[in-house]
Amino acid sequence: MLSRMMRIDTIHFGCVDVRQQDVFHFPLGMPGLEHCRRWVLLTPPDEPAVSWLQCVDRPEIALAVVEPRRYLPDYRVRMYRRELARLELRSPGEARVLVTVNRTQGGLTLNLKAPLVINRKRRIGRQVISNGDMAVQYPLEGTVPKARRKIA
Amino acid sequence: MLVLSRQRDESIIINDNVVVTIVDIRGDKVRLGIEAPQEIPVHRREVYEAIQRENLEALRLGPKDTETLRQQSKEQPKDR
Repeated sequence: MLSRMMRIDTIHFGCVDVRQQDVFHFPLGMPGLEHCRRWVLLTPPDEPAVSWLQCVDRPEIALAVVEPRRYLPDYRVRMYRRELARLELRSPGEARVLVTVNRTQGGLTLNLKAPLVINRKRRIGRQVISNGDMAVQYPLEGTVPKARRKIA
Repeated sequence: MLVLSRQRDESIIINDNVVVTIVDIRGDKVRLGIEAPQEIPVHRREVYEAIQRENLEALRLGPKDTETLRQQSKEQPKDR
């Protein structure tokens, strides 16, 4: 089936062709990035652990995102129901959860407090501010050995 | 800033669709109940601002910074 392609400028990968149907819509943008409504997820083949959420309309804006459960198998998002408004989720299985990556002096961190919840079917996303004591900058370095122990 | 005095169980209404009620007052802590349409986000200000800052800071990250993640995920299958 032919799908409509669009060419977008990206900060890390130059000019990229993406399918229009691959665009995610964030009706509220994100805190600090309120005007960034259309995003695409770019996953470099040589680095599948990290994807880049690239703003379609602002080439200079891209966030590194990872699947939090890859590092923290027990990670659960607790949030008010109203936070899920507009995501049109019919079942939890339709949701994909990603978290943004940042770097602090101590190394890479994950924003566990405000995960991105995406309806994979309808391609609507939202950055949710979760309940409870989750870190905005959760140090990643310590978590990987823990995950490895579980696998081993 | 508009400043209004309210007692417990009293409310203010903003626009015609947001109601803020004083639910409880204990010492210097006030509990607020907020009724607003679901499409209006409501957050604790300091938390919202922390997420704003974090998002803007995270924009500075580049593929070079995440190289360690690639190494980690490559190492993981060996442990399986």
